Amino acid sequence: MKIGRKRKGKAEIPTSSMSDIAFLLIVFFMATTKFDVKEGIRIVLPQAADEGAEQTQTLTLTENEMTRLQITEDGRIAVNNDAPRNFESGELDALIQQKVRINQQMIFKVITDREAAYNDMIRVVDRLKAAKIEKISLSTN
Amino acid sequence: MANFKKQRSREVAIPNGSMSDIAFLLLLFFMVSTVFVQEKKFWVERDRWPIAESIERIPRNHTTTIYVMRDETILIDDIPTRIESAEDVFVSSTLIRKKADDPELVVCFRTDRDTKYGVMSDVMRQLQSAETLVVAFETQQRQN
Repeated sequence: MKIGRKRKGKAEIPTSSMSDIAFLLIVFFMATTKFDVKEGIRIVLPQAADEGAEQTQTLTLTENEMTRLQITEDGRIAVNNDAPRNFESGELDALIQQKVRINQQMIFKVITDREAAYNDMIRVVDRLKAAKIEKISLSTN
Repeated sequence: MANFKKQRSREVAIPNGSMSDIAFLLLLFFMVSTVFVQEKKFWVERDRWPIAESIERIPRNHTTTIYVMRDETILIDDIPTRIESAEDVFVSSTLIRKKADDPELVVCFRTDRDTKYGVMSDVMRQLQSAETLVVAFETQQRQN
């Protein structure tokens, strides 16, 4: 019987497809990665009034310094002492621009009725933010 | 007489030996940066949020979420509460604790768009007393 000499095979793990696998995984993670952010309207609230403070300063602001936007229960808006009425977004933008032309540093005070919908307040604040207004005050009556 | 040597033609090849290293480096980056967000319950569905245009992106790592539902139930850390009077200080006490843990805390509101503003005003008053002054009203992006 003829016994052949065994050839020693070189043991190797094939690595040529390694980069294919890696790129496949990258594509998966790129497709599924959602950078963890929230989206919304950011506001910085004022400090709470200190009840123990001996002196509180009262400022009287004119209509040229502050515009009051009073949102009624049914979503209508009263500007300063005017009667409340419905405002379309475009009308609100025009109003804000008009007020800013009077005073670049105009303060907008948004007074929302407790019974008004939250959405109505957001709609007004959104238009103010869109007009790059920084001085926004939120209050209720 | 000049001696002209025969030019050897070199084999042009882009070295791709480190290709898998680069690939794995990228893979590692995406694996580390991927966050699978899992919330216990989505108390206020996204389609109930208000719609706005001028929205900002707020990184989640310094945020806490307050849900305000249409029936005026408030949820912090999935614990429901209500603000019936000035003595209900659960919101402010929770936020004082959170603010102590993270001084850069941003409070995000996920509020149903038809919620009455009164309850939002009450919550914001408690935020002021807890000195957590940076808030964000989460909204949907207006689709043009």
